[in-house]
Amino acid sequence: MNVDQLADVLRKDPEFMENVVRWEELPAREARYADFPSQLDARLIPVLEKRGIHSLYTHQAHAVREILDGHDVVVVTPTASGKTMCYNLPILSAILRNPDTRALYLFPTKALSSDQVNELYDLIQLSGADIKTYTYDGDTPGAARKAVRQAGHIVVTNPDMLHSGILPHHTKWVKLFENLRYIVIDEIHTYRGVFGSNLANVLRRLIRLCDFYGSHPQFILCSATIANPKELAETLTGRPIELIDDNGAPMGKRHFVFYNPPVINQQLGIRKGAMGEVRNISGMLLKNGIQAITFARSRLVVEVLTRYLKDMVRDPLGNAGRVRGYRGGYLPTTRHEIERGLREGKVDAVVSTNALELGIDIGALDACVLCGYPGTIASAWQQAGRAGRRKASSIVFFVANSSALDQYIVAHPDYFLKRSPENALLNPDNIYILLNHFKCAAYELPFEDGDAFGNAPSPDMLMEYLTDSNILRHVGGRYHWMADDFPASSLSLRSAAEENFAIIDITDPAHHRVIGEMDRFTVPMLLHENAIYMHEGMQYQVEKLDFDACKAFIRQVDVGYYTDADLNISLSLLDIEEEVDQPGGLSRALGEIKVSALVTMFKKIRFDTHENLGFGHVRLPETDMHTTAMWWKLPDDLCSRFDNDQLKNGMLGVANLLRIVAPLYLMCSPQDVCVVYQVKSPITDKPTLIIYDNYPGGVGLAQKAYSMQRLLLEKCLEIVTGCTCSQGCPSCVGPIGEVGLDGKETAIRILRDMLLRSDH
Amino acid sequence: MIRPTHEFPELSALTRHPLMLMQHEEMPDPLNPRRILFLDTETTGLGGGAGTVAFEIGIGRMTSEGFAVTQYVMRDYPEERFMLEKVREQILESDLICTFNGKTFDIPLLRTRFLMNRINPDCLDLPHIDLLPIARRIYKLRLSQCRLSRIETEVLGIPRTGDLPGSEAPDRFFRFLKTGEFALLDDVLTHNEQDVASMLLLLSHLCAQYAQPEQISFQEDLFSMGAALEKEHHASESRRVFRLVPAGKLHSSSQLRLAASHRRDGQIEHARQIYLDMISRKEGGVEPYIALAKYYEHVECNLPQALEMTRKALFLLAEPSLMDPATVQETRNALQYRYDRLQKRLTRKGI
Repeated sequence: MNVDQLADVLRKDPEFMENVVRWEELPAREARYADFPSQLDARLIPVLEKRGIHSLYTHQAHAVREILDGHDVVVVTPTASGKTMCYNLPILSAILRNPDTRALYLFPTKALSSDQVNELYDLIQLSGADIKTYTYDGDTPGAARKAVRQAGHIVVTNPDMLHSGILPHHTKWVKLFENLRYIVIDEIHTYRGVFGSNLANVLRRLIRLCDFYGSHPQFILCSATIANPKELAETLTGRPIELIDDNGAPMGKRHFVFYNPPVINQQLGIRKGAMGEVRNISGMLLKNGIQAITFARSRLVVEVLTRYLKDMVRDPLGNAGRVRGYRGGYLPTTRHEIERGLREGKVDAVVSTNALELGIDIGALDACVLCGYPGTIASAWQQAGRAGRRKASSIVFFVANSSALDQYIVAHPDYFLKRSPENALLNPDNIYILLNHFKCAAYELPFEDGDAFGNAPSPDMLMEYLTDSNILRHVGGRYHWMADDFPASSLSLRSAAEENFAIIDITDPAHHRVIGEMDRFTVPMLLHENAIYMHEGMQYQVEKLDFDACKAFIRQVDVGYYTDADLNISLSLLDIEEEVDQPGGLSRALGEIKVSALVTMFKKIRFDTHENLGFGHVRLPETDMHTTAMWWKLPDDLCSRFDNDQLKNGMLGVANLLRIVAPLYLMCSPQDVCVVYQVKSPITDKPTLIIYDNYPGGVGLAQKAYSMQRLLLEKCLEIVTGCTCSQGCPSCVGPIGEVGLDGKETAIRILRDMLLRSDH
Repeated sequence: MIRPTHEFPELSALTRHPLMLMQHEEMPDPLNPRRILFLDTETTGLGGGAGTVAFEIGIGRMTSEGFAVTQYVMRDYPEERFMLEKVREQILESDLICTFNGKTFDIPLLRTRFLMNRINPDCLDLPHIDLLPIARRIYKLRLSQCRLSRIETEVLGIPRTGDLPGSEAPDRFFRFLKTGEFALLDDVLTHNEQDVASMLLLLSHLCAQYAQPEQISFQEDLFSMGAALEKEHHASESRRVFRLVPAGKLHSSSQLRLAASHRRDGQIEHARQIYLDMISRKEGGVEPYIALAKYYEHVECNLPQALEMTRKALFLLAEPSLMDPATVQETRNALQYRYDRLQKRLTRKGI
């Protein structure tokens, strides 16, 4: 059956259609072609023709022209529109014309870089030219590094490696820096918030070194669909950038089905679980031979669904290779095998976390099932974009779970279909981040009096500050590094600790093998002792978790249940740095807090029925993070106006508003800050609203929030009073299901009162 | 600073031939010991990135008066360029650089400093003897680690006292920069001068040992030198050294490597004799049997003898030994396979 036939069958199935709240058809889009631009080296044209490419899509031709004319560009294209051609073609063309030309490719993850390099290899091989492309990352063997540094025309790496492995050792990369002509940064929509602010500063350092070596590289950036690609590209690079978004790739018709699981308890309004419904829908696709990807929000759900789907198609030997799971934590070789299987059509169904949302090449699939709303419009579109053939039709199912947010989306499909995706924001001039990179830059090359650091404000003040701190020595008009350390090593570009746990299968005592890895933060949830750990649909029981050695030992089992752990997050006060607490005024403070995550117990849940089979205890150390926070303590006489539930709903509403407002004004991504409300806070002993940096040690976001606290509250009030919803929606206080019937009104009353007390 | 020649007793051994044995790299010809430049740097850190600076560079050289060590110190950052230019002049007057760990540390660091000061670093591409990897090959088995201070004590017999740990040098330099008290650097300079002098001592000692391995008194060092020579493709020299390894714990390994070396050079008969001798001394476990089995099968085409050797090896393997059980199992499987194969060939021939 093909997608259109399946769509017809479903539409005639009243039982299915009863749960479909909206069936949207997105029309097919014709391809728009353009001739090969005259700027392109003629030797490439037969190479492309060998690959069956006789003309370019409009956006590709546009990009090639602009790049070869020497302009900095950002290319915005949906998945599978031939994006990599936009930069590979002009760069290969430039290298063919001048073999000294060098290019640097940056991808956000190692997995992505290896993927893109393969495609590049193909083109180079077909061209027969002696163009060397190398990947330089943590996996590059020591012996090969020298060759990469000397001979690589195209060096493929990631921001972390550039930051700590290349820039501080730039003298070993003389060839690259002297001849660097192009800097390609793919997937720039991932560089939001703190990660993006870090990258922007890494680029300032890179360009500064290029200046030293006398090269003036051009930027080529690529982004998935976001609201502000040009602005993001310009903030990242500090340069005006030309926007190319005239996508000429064709797209078949797309069905978008909003599915809400049926109500099973009318009195309590309880719906069937999304997982069971997804199991049926994905199973139906599998049985009809429609290649599909299913996205789930957690690793656990991925594994449970993978198992369900595998069970449907097992051969007599119990193998079900047509169904695969995919998530972070699988070994790279396993992941590549799955990606290849998808491209070659050997895998019919894959269940994935958002790990496959990024541009990893798995080809285009027929169908996509979203098990729950991924949280933002941008990532929902990216996941949905995995389905979409150039010619044939495709279908996307959004299956809502019972959370208030999902229920809102499924009740208001236009909210998702009509709104533009989120802005990606960052702030390269965040003083914490800037100062750290400024140190790295000073280490890499002494600053001279009057030097700039990209477009960073007042670099002379930073130089003076570091001189006063005895880190730099100002002599002879230059600032020399004067410390016995390596500043790049103590600065990580990402929030999550890099340290990973190895997952070791000890089923065969003579042959222990590592089957995967997991980051430290997730380990207590999924790898505590006695947990059922699922990997590619297989079950293992965790026998021993060695926290110090970062190893988890697991043994294969076959039991009828899985486990789900409860994570408790608690906050405690370490130190108050600043406080305003006047009678009648709005009480607020800035300080250090400890955020502790502790897993104390887990549930055993039976497959199929999802009933609870009992509990187990987990004995693990707390995972602590010290960070900075700011908070408002709500006044007693305000709180006494509400009953407990009202107050709780109102505070939740304000917290939701702050979650929307804070990233906009702190210029960070929503993951960078946490907003919490506590009706009886251990920090103040009173009802309290808290904003803290989601980074160990803090990165200055709470400070900024503290200094603009009144503005944040004003903006919250502006949004909630301006919102056209009647009793709450995800764009203001949150959906009714979450904040109750009077949540919106209470939130407004709380905000008005806070603002009334707050001084200007 | 000049040290008189008599402080370097093995200086006469410093000739081209042993150097060629140590390191498979072209050496200046003829070798003029006065054109060897001994170099050691003191730096502001061990990071090795672009922000690490060599604030002192010690250079040693044989002169008519003795071994002269010149130490260049920058008193502040603006003097770096001048210091590097002086060092460059010294290097241009030399044919060979000798360091201890210079291939990974000092020379790349100087290359970085040259580039940062826009001085052409090509002069650093001179032939280079790095004593650390060479010393490591010869002494690691005996000393387990090969820091220069340990080599001075255990190999050269001149223990150092009151030495400033190298890791404290950056701090001394930064304090000097802040206070201007040059005395803070005295210990650093003493340390560096000794390092440079030890390089000449070690280099001439190594040359003496390579030239006359008969003088080496430790079986570990002998065995290691044999292996090192083999690795650098000096087969006959390596055999000469392996033969010198006295009876003891390393004898059988030496004999096996000796035989293997003969075999590689086509001297099959020599190899066979060594295996037979080993068997008669009950030395080397199953190894000589296995080697002989291969010899009989492939060289003499004497299948019954090959089978016999395999059978004996299997018997020997059944006796209790100190070998790790997994290796025993693996060896047994391989032998059994060989045994079965040989038997099959024999029966086929019989038909």
